[in-house]
Amino acid sequence: MAGPEHSLYRQVILEHARQPRNAERVEPHSHVAEAVNALCGDEAEVTLRLENERIAAIGARVRGCVISQAAASLMTEAVRGLPLAQAARLGGVFRQAIEQGETGALPPELIPLAPLIEVRKHRSRIRCALLAWEAIETMAGETAPGG
Amino acid sequence: MSDNTENTSNAENPYRGDFPILAREINGHPLSYLDNAATTQKPRAVIDALVRFYEHHNANVHRGVHTLSEEASSLYEEARAKVAAFIGASAAEVIFTRGATESLNMVALGFARGLLRPGDEVLLTEMEHHSNLVPWQEAARETGAVTRFARITDSGTLELEDFAAQLNERTRLVALTHASNVLGTLNPVAELTAMAHKVGAVVVVDAAQTAPKGLVDVAALDCDFLAFSGHKMYGPTGIGVLYGKAALLERMTPAFTGGGMIAKVDKERASWGEVPRRFEPGTPPIAGAVALGAAVDYLQGVGPAELRRREAGLTAYALEALDAAEDVTVFGPPAGDHRTGVISFNLRGVHPHDVAEVLDETGVAVRAGHHCCQVLMQRLEVPGVVRASLGLYNSREDVERLLAGLNRVREVFGVSGVSGGEAARRGRA
Repeated sequence: MAGPEHSLYRQVILEHARQPRNAERVEPHSHVAEAVNALCGDEAEVTLRLENERIAAIGARVRGCVISQAAASLMTEAVRGLPLAQAARLGGVFRQAIEQGETGALPPELIPLAPLIEVRKHRSRIRCALLAWEAIETMAGETAPGG
Repeated sequence: MSDNTENTSNAENPYRGDFPILAREINGHPLSYLDNAATTQKPRAVIDALVRFYEHHNANVHRGVHTLSEEASSLYEEARAKVAAFIGASAAEVIFTRGATESLNMVALGFARGLLRPGDEVLLTEMEHHSNLVPWQEAARETGAVTRFARITDSGTLELEDFAAQLNERTRLVALTHASNVLGTLNPVAELTAMAHKVGAVVVVDAAQTAPKGLVDVAALDCDFLAFSGHKMYGPTGIGVLYGKAALLERMTPAFTGGGMIAKVDKERASWGEVPRRFEPGTPPIAGAVALGAAVDYLQGVGPAELRRREAGLTAYALEALDAAEDVTVFGPPAGDHRTGVISFNLRGVHPHDVAEVLDETGVAVRAGHHCCQVLMQRLEVPGVVRASLGLYNSREDVERLLAGLNRVREVFGVSGVSGGEAARRGRA
């Protein structure tokens, strides 16, 4: 039984947390970054490989709650195939959507992430939904590829 | 203990009605507030004291000759006397601060930095809150001293042999908690202080978790400094206490300076006023201090024995129920005299934050995470724990609602009847 409709724990979130997509480390990878939620100590490590300037493979390993795991899983599906800079921009749009509670104008790539917008009502959980995206932003902000 | 029937339901709890906020509904449910180790709710008497001060007596203290200032000063000093009596100190040994964190930092900045030399040791324990760990780490780093940690046992008590073994002639300062904010463990502070004094170490005690239980008697503990917060003992936020033995306070340097704490100021330098005002520069949280005095009155009215008896009975009841659940791991000592009503646990297969979130949906307020005890989390080998901490107004009904809420957690995350690992692997239909 999933939670009530107002709950954070919509079926899609529970399902992604139980069976996260792209939860393996990408080897070989061109980029790697970690993000830590200082509030709770949860961690995400994101690895990806760019081919022809686009994300050909991505993996997010998360030690954390259902929200951070589901958010990372959904993130990996949203950004695959995109240039890294565009993925980071998408993260910015997602962040803004959470902060403003706007789901109406989500770009198509972010529509599957719409259930996560609910975290805006739970201040302490917003970081959980953004954790893996922070790793993407870190990668995009670095001039030289890591790895 | 478990047969004290007055602890059965919230309606029967004689103190619950004193706390207006407990009448609130949370997410359509009655509120079971089990986050008392983080902050307690405030009784009407404390809220009234704040309002009364601002409506009738508000003025700055110690600097005015007008009537209101005299009244405010008297109320402020009366509050100091009440707090002093509550912990067995004299008023001159009680410094008002913003909270336990500031109190501990004041000792680290104003005392430890002058005390420590390269190679000296500061002995802490593995169960310290960051507020009684990071200030000493910083003081040690700046002075070339070394921090050491007394180990805890698997049941969450301090390893006394290890504590004794780590004390030596280089140990200049020992900082330890009276009771763990995660494990509930009550440390034998009087015994540990005596051991520390034998090697000449100064002892600093974090009493944030024990002051609300009426368990602090500085004469019996014989510690040198002791810190606690008002808001964890049914008082307001923004007010706390640093107790120090008079002779040590005379040796302490003020970490903060400014108005109200000086004897004389000229262009070159200033001399300090008397203790305790030497350590209270600027305008203190006057209303907060007065309301803390009201909280002390309230706790004295209940009585330390009654506080302890209620909490012990309810703690035993909660621990028994949680221990009975095969998928619940409880951290900390068993029920008894050596623990408080702070109960930390994990539910197998569910992250602590997810447990707390679903409990909140049922009106049960608990805390989840590392509880500012990352060193302890490393020792327990968990990223975080769920913590239910009991207060004066809790009853069996709150514990039962916690247990029912945990069933709801199991249902939401599909971990009922199977291990979390299995549930996670096989998914759920």
